[in-house]
Amino acid sequence: MANFPPSDGSTDGHEPRDGSERQASGVEQSDLELVRRVQRGERGAFDLLVLRYQHKVVKLVARLLRDQAEAEDVAQEAFVKAYRAIGSFRGDSAFYTWLYRIAVNTARNSMASRQRRPLDYESDLNESEQSAVESRMRHGDTPEAAALSDEIHRTVNGAIEALPEDLRTAIILREVEGLSYEEIAEAMECPVGTVRSRIFRAREAIDRSLKPLLD
Amino acid sequence: MTDQIREQMSALLDGELAPGELGLLVRRMERDAALRRAFGNYVLAGESLRAPGCIIASPGFAARVSAALDAGGAVPATAPAELARPAPRWKRPLAGLAVAAGAALAAVVLVRPGTDGGSLVAQQAAPVTMAVVSMPGGASPTPAQTQRLAGYLVAHGQYASAIGRRNAWSNALAADPGINRVVYEASEKR
Repeated sequence: MANFPPSDGSTDGHEPRDGSERQASGVEQSDLELVRRVQRGERGAFDLLVLRYQHKVVKLVARLLRDQAEAEDVAQEAFVKAYRAIGSFRGDSAFYTWLYRIAVNTARNSMASRQRRPLDYESDLNESEQSAVESRMRHGDTPEAAALSDEIHRTVNGAIEALPEDLRTAIILREVEGLSYEEIAEAMECPVGTVRSRIFRAREAIDRSLKPLLD
Repeated sequence: MTDQIREQMSALLDGELAPGELGLLVRRMERDAALRRAFGNYVLAGESLRAPGCIIASPGFAARVSAALDAGGAVPATAPAELARPAPRWKRPLAGLAVAAGAALAAVVLVRPGTDGGSLVAQQAAPVTMAVVSMPGGASPTPAQTQRLAGYLVAHGQYASAIGRRNAWSNALAADPGINRVVYEASEKR
């Protein structure tokens, strides 16, 4: 099964990287358009921003808290705070930078309050159980979440493997290498519209594979 | 048609959607849970490709956030001035009335009978007073006109602070003869 690690070793796509400024600004511009719509009262636009950044925010918070179960609560709180404060967002920074700042502050507040709470479960666990809990906390993941994540990764890779070569190349250049449609069109020597269509069809194939797993 | 919409979703995710396509797409996605689910899977596929085995939000996380926003009655803070929507059309006449009532009230209060310098102030205030309760041909104010002025004051009261309301009612509206006097003085100066 193929693995597609990021070309620059980063684990977060879409953040500005060397050579991909134009692509990043396209996503930022798209975020800004959605933010403007939220500011004009379109709640649906905020739902799309949540869908786009949910994994990144949960991952960030889970790494800070080392507890994915609590991370989701804190990430949810961060999104609610972001929604309430979005009227003050003027676009001086990228939306995700602003959102991450809110998430980090919310996680810090959560950690501060957690330190004030007694860890009453410790006394009820024997040494090996406590070790297992600590291990999970270190990895910031629960066994169920880790299993689901692995299964999703296998499914996505399986779907990618089954794609025709032109679709597979287009989606990898986009998602892994972070190239813009124009750059992909140049690399694949085809029109931008064809790139858009290939990436869409690749995503549709992956979606069909993921659906039974997630529904 | 659905394929076209989903292709637009894919382009939106990549920041490659034309601005003109965004509005309709957002509205469609707001109504269609299947589209939102597919969009979520597009995002998830990208995350999984870039960071194998990474921590991901559990299925239903985005829906829980949406429900929390609905349940909590979360309202975004006031938008920046350039993004703020204009007042609804039905409110605009009321705002105009409030301004007119404010001007009338200022004139009425300034020329209350028995106050020192009342006539001097009345001279300065006369044009304003006339603009609001002008008496064609120097006629006495009719009950309907007096009632109209009272209506202005009521409208003003809906916009003014508590102190402003109290002053308006205690100093002006209660002094009906004063109101008539202003009207007469203003009429005589025409």
